[in-house]
Amino acid sequence: MNIEPTELEKAVLLKVTGRMDAENAHEFEQACDRWITNGTKHLIADLDGLQYVSSMGLRSFLSVAQKLQSASGSLILCGLHGLPRQVFEMTRLIGLFPVFETSQQAIATL
Amino acid sequence: MDPPANRLILPASAGSISALSEFVRGGAVAAGIAESEFAKLDLILEEILVNVARYAYTPEAGAVEVAYAQAGGRKLQVEIADFGRVFNPLEADPPDLSRGLADRPIGGLGVFLVRSMVDSITYRRDGDRNILSFIFPIDGAPGV
Repeated sequence: MNIEPTELEKAVLLKVTGRMDAENAHEFEQACDRWITNGTKHLIADLDGLQYVSSMGLRSFLSVAQKLQSASGSLILCGLHGLPRQVFEMTRLIGLFPVFETSQQAIATL
Repeated sequence: MDPPANRLILPASAGSISALSEFVRGGAVAAGIAESEFAKLDLILEEILVNVARYAYTPEAGAVEVAYAQAGGRKLQVEIADFGRVFNPLEADPPDLSRGLADRPIGGLGVFLVRSMVDSITYRRDGDRNILSFIFPIDGAPGV
């Protein structure tokens, strides 16, 4: 898994690529925690290049979203497809996040 | 398992995820799996492995023995055995998927996903072993 951050005016865009599993899901959470600690309110996770996510990855997304919500912010998802989209749908987590097709659409809402 | 199965023993830890996946994919490819279904099979194997490592063994370490065999009708039977304490992941309560973000529990989704992606799954305790056995639909249509 690779995480590539880009600082935007009102958010930080995190481009996540590869596979998020029990071995590395904590890296995503740690990366998000650093931005949250620095005062970032909105994180946009671009998941177009994410090929795989297991329940440990879902835990990280949920945990980050809960932290941001309690700081009046949000974790926004975009580019979800394939197995990652399926598991977000099956677990009904998809309704708990703002979800957009593209990062441009997500950025436009802020 | 009948017919004769392919078997592999691995450390029960997240570090074994890719080796476990590669091994079982061998059987799935022989049974005609589409590449688009690899991720589902990987997910099932990972969730089971992680549960064994955390609940059957922690804090000690241990091994899992995995075996697979074609189950006929484009299905693959997979058994994952461990030698840890008695642990039946199928006894866990289903997660409450109706809660909102603030009070959605963070755990419990792994077994739920596994159940959703297999035709059937059973647990048995055999001597000093926990054995989970599942049937994976090669064509990606569980329950058929």
